Amino acid sequence: MWIRQTVVCASIIVLAVMLQLTLLSRLGLPGATPDLVVVCVVALALAYGPVTGAVVGFAAGLVLGFTPPAGGVIGIQALIFLVIGFLTGAVIDPRDRTVPILAGMVGLSTGAAALAYVLTLAAFGGNRVIWEEVPALVLTSSLYGLILAPIVVPTVAWLVRRLTPEVAV
Amino acid sequence: MLNHRTRIILAVLVIIALTFTILDLRGGKGPFASVRSVVSSALGGVQVAASVIVSPIMGVGSWWGTWGDQRTRIAELESQNASLQDTLIRSAEDRARADALDQLLRVAGVGRYRIVPAEVIAVEPAQDFTWTVTIDAGRDDGLLADMTVINGQGLIGRILSTTKTTATVVLIVDASSAVGARVAGTEEIGILSGTGRQDSLEFQTLDPLAALKSGQALLTFGSRSGRPYAPGIPIGEVVDVSGTAGQLTRIATIRPFADVSTLTVVGVVIRPPREDPRDSVLPTPPEKADSANVDAPAPTGVEDGASPAPTASAKPKKETAAKPVPAPTPSAGVATDAGGN
Repeated sequence: MWIRQTVVCASIIVLAVMLQLTLLSRLGLPGATPDLVVVCVVALALAYGPVTGAVVGFAAGLVLGFTPPAGGVIGIQALIFLVIGFLTGAVIDPRDRTVPILAGMVGLSTGAAALAYVLTLAAFGGNRVIWEEVPALVLTSSLYGLILAPIVVPTVAWLVRRLTPEVAV
Repeated sequence: MLNHRTRIILAVLVIIALTFTILDLRGGKGPFASVRSVVSSALGGVQVAASVIVSPIMGVGSWWGTWGDQRTRIAELESQNASLQDTLIRSAEDRARADALDQLLRVAGVGRYRIVPAEVIAVEPAQDFTWTVTIDAGRDDGLLADMTVINGQGLIGRILSTTKTTATVVLIVDASSAVGARVAGTEEIGILSGTGRQDSLEFQTLDPLAALKSGQALLTFGSRSGRPYAPGIPIGEVVDVSGTAGQLTRIATIRPFADVSTLTVVGVVIRPPREDPRDSVLPTPPEKADSANVDAPAPTGVEDGASPAPTASAKPKKETAAKPVPAPTPSAGVATDAGGN
């Protein structure tokens, strides 16, 4: 039971990490890179609930941290994605899943992820932060999250219902 | 809200994440170096494949930058393209002119002619049957009537008249033109007349017994004080000989080296060399020397034929070879002048 769930989550996360690092980050879009991994974490958290969302977020953060080019600090993203996965899975009532709310949720999540990463990095003494770029990064990250959400969240929900109907929320 | 199990899971994950963060931030290679290398080797191949797949859609981001102002960008590029094409054409023209000037300087340098370079600015229409051109140098540049005009290939003509800033040149192919010429490598001289056709001249040797054959080159014989024609300038080569040896009139058809229909940069010889450069200005003197050796009947001819090949080293020889030249010069000069006028 949980094996199939793990395989589904791992496949989606690995695919998202790959797409994010090989395609989205090289598109040269203005501002931040579209944070497909966060969107997928949110989608999985919505599909499986807060605990699974937290675990998936943690794992996704680690995978993203370890995957080349992997310039960031390992653990920060795991922590942030963990919190995001848990919160999004917890606060959304499964009954009011309308597209605007979901998209807003994802947009908030991606923006928060970008901001939280910067703040955490600064809190841990990282001196690579360019503060002038932070507002634009957070805003564009939210925007790209908003754009990606209507595509990714229903697709992930559909996959989850198809492959693991017994555990879907 | 949270049950016991959930709290434990979250706490463990948060602690692990924080531990990882702190460990990684400690710097150095850290405990994650080996993990990273394993993940790199595992996912690197996937990334390579993925980037091959997605490479056609790379650069999408750059569309954004130009999306709004593509029209102005296109206009900008079109005007840039036009100006670049213009530059290309002009640079090709410049290169052709530089080549012409280079060749002219070679002729002037080898023959030690002092020249004033000029450009052809006007050409008489072909239907006038007069081969004259106007060049952009005149009396102010030291040009006088009856000076020799050459280009990188050879003789072009002589100056007919001058103004302050321009001069009119009558080309050798003009029907009124007559030049005293000498066959390269020999002492055979004659009068070269224009026919009015741009690719043929008529050469009449003074000696009706002279041996002429096609391929031999003709040089100017030189007039008194180098006017109208300075000595040693290549004119053309024999392409056809009509009449047999001993006949009263023996006429060779000469194809001029210079293409008078495409004149650009020319040079006006304002001072001829102190000594006749003989055959040294010819583009390919050795071949002419060989033919001269075959044809030349007298021992002087042999010595003469040997001199042009080493142009720089055989100075004393050249002087001996040049010795007989001054004697016939006045007569040739008279003949040329008579023909010219």
